[in-house]
Formats: sequence, C-alpha cells, structure tokens
Amino acid sequence: MIKKTLIVLFVILSNYMFGQQKKFQINGAARGYFFSNELNIDESLDTITTRKANYGHTLLDMGVNLFPNDNTEVLAMFRIRNELGGFWGGGVSFDVRQLSLKGVAADVVRYELGDIDLKMTPYTLFNYQEEGVINEGDVFSLRRDIVHYDMFYNPDNSWRMQGAKANFGLEFNGLIKSLDVKTFITRQRATDGILEPERLFGGGTIKLVQSDNLSLAFNTVNIFDLEGTIPDSIQYKNNVHTFNLNYSKNLNEKIKLDFKSEAGVSNARYINYADNRAPESMNDWFYDVAVVSNFKGKNTSITLGYKDVGADFLSPGAQTKRINYSKFPALYQQITNDATGRQISYSDVISGNTENSFKISEELMPYYAAYNNSNPYGLATPNRKGVYAEFQRTDSVKFKNSFVKTALLTQSRGTGTNEKKNFFLIEAGTDVYLNDFLGWKKQIKLDLGLRYENTSRGGEVFEVVSLNSTFVDLGLSYELVESFDILVGAKIWSVKGNEFNNDRNQFNNIVNFNVVNYGFNENTYAAGLRYRFSDKNILSAQYQINNIKHTTGVNPDYGISQFTFLYSLLF
Amino acid sequence: MKKIILYLATILLIFSCRKEDSETFDGPNLNDLFGEFSIIQDITVNSNTVNFPVDNNVYFSGELSKNTSWIIDLKGQTSGANRKLTGTDRIISIDNATWDGGANTFPGFGLETVFVEISFPSEDNSVILYDTIQVTGSKIDDGILITSFENGVGTKWSNFNQTTVAGGITCGDGNAAKGNCYYGFNGTVGWDWAIGSVMIQDDNNDFGLPANASNLYFNMAFKPIENIGAQNTFIQFWFDEDENGDGVFDPATEDRFIYEYWYQDTGWSLISYKYADIQFDVDGNQVATNGNGLPEPGKLFSINVFYLANKANGNAKAYIDHLIFTTNKPYTP
Repeated sequence: MIKKTLIVLFVILSNYMFGQQKKFQINGAARGYFFSNELNIDESLDTITTRKANYGHTLLDMGVNLFPNDNTEVLAMFRIRNELGGFWGGGVSFDVRQLSLKGVAADVVRYELGDIDLKMTPYTLFNYQEEGVINEGDVFSLRRDIVHYDMFYNPDNSWRMQGAKANFGLEFNGLIKSLDVKTFITRQRATDGILEPERLFGGGTIKLVQSDNLSLAFNTVNIFDLEGTIPDSIQYKNNVHTFNLNYSKNLNEKIKLDFKSEAGVSNARYINYADNRAPESMNDWFYDVAVVSNFKGKNTSITLGYKDVGADFLSPGAQTKRINYSKFPALYQQITNDATGRQISYSDVISGNTENSFKISEELMPYYAAYNNSNPYGLATPNRKGVYAEFQRTDSVKFKNSFVKTALLTQSRGTGTNEKKNFFLIEAGTDVYLNDFLGWKKQIKLDLGLRYENTSRGGEVFEVVSLNSTFVDLGLSYELVESFDILVGAKIWSVKGNEFNNDRNQFNNIVNFNVVNYGFNENTYAAGLRYRFSDKNILSAQYQINNIKHTTGVNPDYGISQFTFLYSLLF
Repeated sequence: MKKIILYLATILLIFSCRKEDSETFDGPNLNDLFGEFSIIQDITVNSNTVNFPVDNNVYFSGELSKNTSWIIDLKGQTSGANRKLTGTDRIISIDNATWDGGANTFPGFGLETVFVEISFPSEDNSVILYDTIQVTGSKIDDGILITSFENGVGTKWSNFNQTTVAGGITCGDGNAAKGNCYYGFNGTVGWDWAIGSVMIQDDNNDFGLPANASNLYFNMAFKPIENIGAQNTFIQFWFDEDENGDGVFDPATEDRFIYEYWYQDTGWSLISYKYADIQFDVDGNQVATNGNGLPEPGKLFSINVFYLANKANGNAKAYIDHLIFTTNKPYTP
C-alpha cells in the first residue's frame, strides 16, 4: 500500500514539475586569466622602466534569467572579480554587469528595458571591428574574445547601451507584404548639473517589405541634449536619416542579383555655445550603392559598389571607434630614459591594454593611420568616395570563408590643400584545411589574411603623401589529440611613408596637422596550447612576442613578451 | 538586366552631382604651415613722399608665397615715433597695409623722414627689406583739439608753479609728443607734492564740445621724466563747468570734477578716458561736486592740468602735450 502511494505521489509530482513553465535559468561565465609581461628594450635606451609586470584575475559572471510569466523575462547578471594577489577581500569587486527586462506586450510589441544591444545600418548605428583582424587565427581570437566579451562588442556589431527598445511587425495581403517597426531610446550621458547637459540617443527603423525581392527602409538616429538639465542653454544635436532600398532579381538559373543601397543626410548643431569655434550647423550627405551577384550553388558572390560620404557627414553611432589611439596603453605607458609616452602597439590591442569605447562619441576619435588610413571610421568614414569590390566564397572543400575585398577611394574635399588623398585598399583571407590536402583525419587549419593599403597625394613637395601599410595575419591550429590543439600565429605589420594626421577640435573641425613619418616593422608572434573541454569551456596557455623596429631612428625599438594562462567557461 | 543597369545609372547620376569642392579644403593651409617662403612680388610703398592732409594715406603692396606673419615697422627719424603694421595674409595690399600717418602711441610723427623695415618673424633666415618715406604733411587729427601748445599760451590761461619750479612751453627741442612744442614742469619741491599746473581756457569760453558725455573721450600725452616710479607721480585734471552759462566758474555752486592719473614709466603715454567717467572715483563711487554732479562737456569752462610728485624724491620733471577730445573712441596719435 505504501509502495503504491509513493508511486502515485511520484507521478503527481512529476506531472506538476514538468507541466509548469520554467521559472528561472542560470547562465554566465567564469574566467581565470594570468599575464606575465616583460619589456624588452636596449639597456642603453632605458634603465629606469621596470621590465616585468605580472597581473591576473579570476571572475564570475552569474546571470539569472527569471520568467515571471509567459511573456516576460528578467535578466540580472552580477560580476565578482578578484585580482590575483589580493587576499581576504582586497582587490575584489562586485558589480552589476547586466540588468534587463524584456517581453511581449499584447502579443504584438516586443520590448526590452535596461541594458540593450542596438545595431542598425553601417551609416547609422554600427560598432565596427577594430583594426588588425583579417581572418584572424585562433591563437589571437581566443584572447580578443575576452576583450570583446568584457566590452560587449558582440559579433553582430551592436552597441551595448542603456535604455529601452521596442519593435513590432504587421503583415498585409495587399501591395505591401509586411511592415516592421523598430525604435529605441537610450541615455548616453547623465548631467553633471553644471556644464554637461543630459544626453539621449534615440531612433528607429521603419521597413516596408513589398516582397522577398523588394524592400525599403527608413532609418533615423538622433542625439540630443535635454534642455533645462544645466543652468546654461547649450545643446548638441545630431540627426542622421537614411533610406535603404534592396532589390533582388534572378538573372537566370545560375545568377541572382541583389541591388543594395543606402543614402542619407546628417545634421549636427551646436546650439547656444559660447565658444565661437562651434559651428552653428554642419550638414552633409552620403550614398552607397552596390550590386551583388550571387552564383547559385557555388556559395560565391561578387559585389561591385560605389560610395560617396561627404566630408561633413557626422554619424556618431556609426563612426565611433572601439579603440582610442590617442591614449597611452595601460601597460608600460612610458619607456626610455626620457620617459617617452608609448604609442599603442598591437600587443596592447590583443591584450585589452587600450582605452576602449563603451559609448558612442560625438567627436571623431583620433586614429592610427599606420593601421588603417582608408576607412578609420568604418564604412561611414567621412570624406571618402570611390568604388569598391568584393569576392566572397563561403565554403568549398579545402578552402573556406575565402574573400578578396578592394577599394579605390579618394577624398571629397582636400585637407590642408586642394590636392586630394587617394586610397587603395585590398584585403584577402581564407581558411585552408590542410588536413584535406594531406588526407589527415585530425584537423589542421591555416588562417590566412592579408591587407595592403596605400595612401597617396600629389602636389608640391610640402604636401605630398605616400604611405604604405602591409599587414599579414596568420594562424595555424592543429588538433594534436582529440580536443587538444596546438595554436600558432603571427601578425606582421610593415609600414613606411608619411602622413599629415588630422588634429581636430571638439567640434570636429581640423585645426592642425601632425606630420608623421612612419617607418616600422611590428611583428607579433604567438604560440600556445588549448584544451577544449567543450565548445564553451577551454583551457589555454600562450606565449607571445611583440617587437617593433623603427627605421626612422626617431622612436625607440622595443618589444613586449607575454605569457598568458586562460581558463574560460561560458554556461 | 538592361533595366537594372538603367536604374543603377539613373541613381548614380542623381547622386554623383556632389559639388566638387576644389576651391576649399579643411584645416589650415599646408602651404602656410610647411611651404617654402619667398617673396613673389616685391613689397613696395605706393609713394615715397606723402602729404597726409592731401594724400590721406600711403600703402604697401606685394605678394608672398604663403600666409605668414609680417611686420612693417615705421620709425620717425626725428620724433622717434613708431607705427607697426602687421598681418599674416599672403597678399599685402591697401586692404591690410595702409598707413594713415598715425603712430602706435605718443610721440606722433612730424614732418620728417620715416624709416621702413619689413620683416617676417616666422620665417627663419628670411630677408629684411628697407625703405624710406618722406612726410611732408602730418595727418589731421580726428577730434576737437584743445591745445598742442604750438600757438603759445592762450589769453585766458593761467598757470601755477612752485617757487623752485620752472614751468612753461618749450618748442623745437625734438621732445614734443606731437608737433613742435610741449608744456614742461621741472623743479625740486621738498615741502609739497604740488609741482605746478596750467589752467587752459578757451578765448571765447567755448571749447565747442558736444553735449553728450558718454561717447566723448578726453586725451592727453604725458611724460614723467624725473621723480618717477610707483606711487610717486600723478596728474590731476580739474574739469570746471560753467553750469549757469554766466561766463564765470563759481567753485561754490558749480561742478569741478577732479580726475587723477598715476603713471610710473618714463615714456610718453596716452591718457584717455570717457568724459562721462570723470564723475566717478577709482573705486567707481560718485565724486562730490558743488553743482548738479553731471558731466556736461558742452559747459566745460576750463581744464586745469596739475602735476604732482613725491616731495621726498628730489627733483621732479614731466611734460604734457596735445590735449584733444575725440568721439566714440580714444585718440590715436
């Protein structure tokens, strides 16, 4: 009798448990990261800088997803971080990393509040990739992913912001197939009550879909300061409005053509600024049109496009850089006996020792022309026009993700002279599965990436520009035994030439030019081991050497070697 | 396919109409920052002889290879007067390099030879150009001249000098701030700060000044020579107004505004202030007078220039010159 009663209770309880809506879910990440750095510089140049710097941390991101009802989800993620070497609470921080609430209202409107990810088009709101990534190998991406995770640099190029967003869609049976509406409002800056007014950033997209082949979208993003949040009446406003028109057509059974376009205007205003350098208004426009030929069944496409982005086109949501190259790196900020400020090296980029943007900037941030001079602000880089082309093959037997991109651009308006700069850019990359060539069962993958950029300007002797930048991105991963990989990689920069770097004021006007003569080879080599407990759980140890040798004789040669140990878990 | 190409061509045509900005560029001119400096067209003066009342001005013209700072330095051979014309424009012309005969400060230019030196301070090892201009007529001042002491003592003037002080008009020694003559005080007064004064009154009791005090400036040249230094030398101006228009100033019932000016250097200086301001002291407080307390230049009866110096410092010496009223702006020598 007792046995029967237990069986009945078990069945009832099971039915109850499995019949209920899931109430919560736990996710997050855990990490242990250790760095051992050593500065390599000639003793005759530097006798004062401490050569070794070790640091590390462990952390836990604990996220709880609550589902109070069928249409609502609440996410709270806390971060506990402990710096290695801090005992009994020393060096421990406890933060709220993420807090958001999302759901569906009336089964129609999806909404999200709190920490939200936002992305629109490359000309309105887009968090574009930092420099030095051309089909990057695992030995580097493994560590870059950590930086991206911490800064919320998501693979979809979205920006993490705080505010609210909502979207809904309507479907029709007539001329229009569907209407999608997305809107958002975020807080970019809280007022200090004295000088800086409260700043908001909002916008959205209305997309009309006529058919699978034709769609038209209107996009708008707007930065605006709130009146009355400071005693002064200054206000900064920036509006960007664009249209997307996409059209597809099957040319024949083998080729499908996609016509893609975006065009729009920007308007920046500095209202009631006492500073007479502040322009009352800056307006400009852009367009970008492209035809993509898709070769069916061959996973291949060829793109041919033309763009013209005005010199005064200002779209902070799309032009903010991830890395501020005007800031010194966090590690070895000054070197040599003269305590010279150290320019950011690529070792700093990989390790996250740079100042990274966590919100959009209304100022065009300084960039490093040696790494990227043709498109330093992504596709929305102002003062660029010209043709571009792209060949892409997503999959083949032995080569995967192959691409060749090229662009031939020129300035719309000269800088410091009527002569205009010309830019030639070519990027190529592919993944080569050597095991397919060799007939091995264990995967051995070679990541190849190449970037070449040339900047030139003619004219009088004093205004001539000639800058060449070559970048080779190599990676190799070999699965020695199951789930255990050997990783090696190299990033090789070779830069030579001169450039007049723009020195802009806070209103984005060029006020001076910094003449720079580049001449250096920067090589970063890395090798390591990785054990994959699962796709989301790895253990890795790496050694990396970064060397910079200058040919100009102005800057000191030095290197940074780095040993890292990383345990990473996503759950 | 033809349609697509047609659409594309149409759109490209629409958008490719961006105005080519070939005449403008962003940022400072690279030629100005880094271009080589040279004089493309010689810098010359339009006339080496000038009679300012007739010619009004002279001007320089020339062309440089870049925008850079230039200084045209004019120095009077006799007076020592100086005028600097400066600019940064590549083109030097009547628009930016015109000389109206005036000086930067006192002393002013007389009928003399003026040495011209043209230099380019931002350009290393650049040439310095020299020239001369002969002034045959001095510029006419824009204002109401009270006196430049060129015509001697007026019939209604009076003066005061301590017994040990020599005070009076001197001409022809080349020390005047403007013209040929000036008024000087020189003597040792060990018992008092008061050295001497000269009271200037119009022959017809009418200086011809406008009624509005708020845009009227009083100007005078002053040069302390001995007994100088901080808190040692000052000038008092007494502005006496005949408020009832009876041709007599009565200090018991009418306004006497007293304005003090302290100066510690030894060169000629331009004293210039708004007539409306004489009703306030240095702290901005209203001064006490015996009339209606309102500065009324149309009723100005006399100006008394009173020189004072520290009695403990031995001999005191100073010159004054060129008392003139101007409207809307201070006098330019």
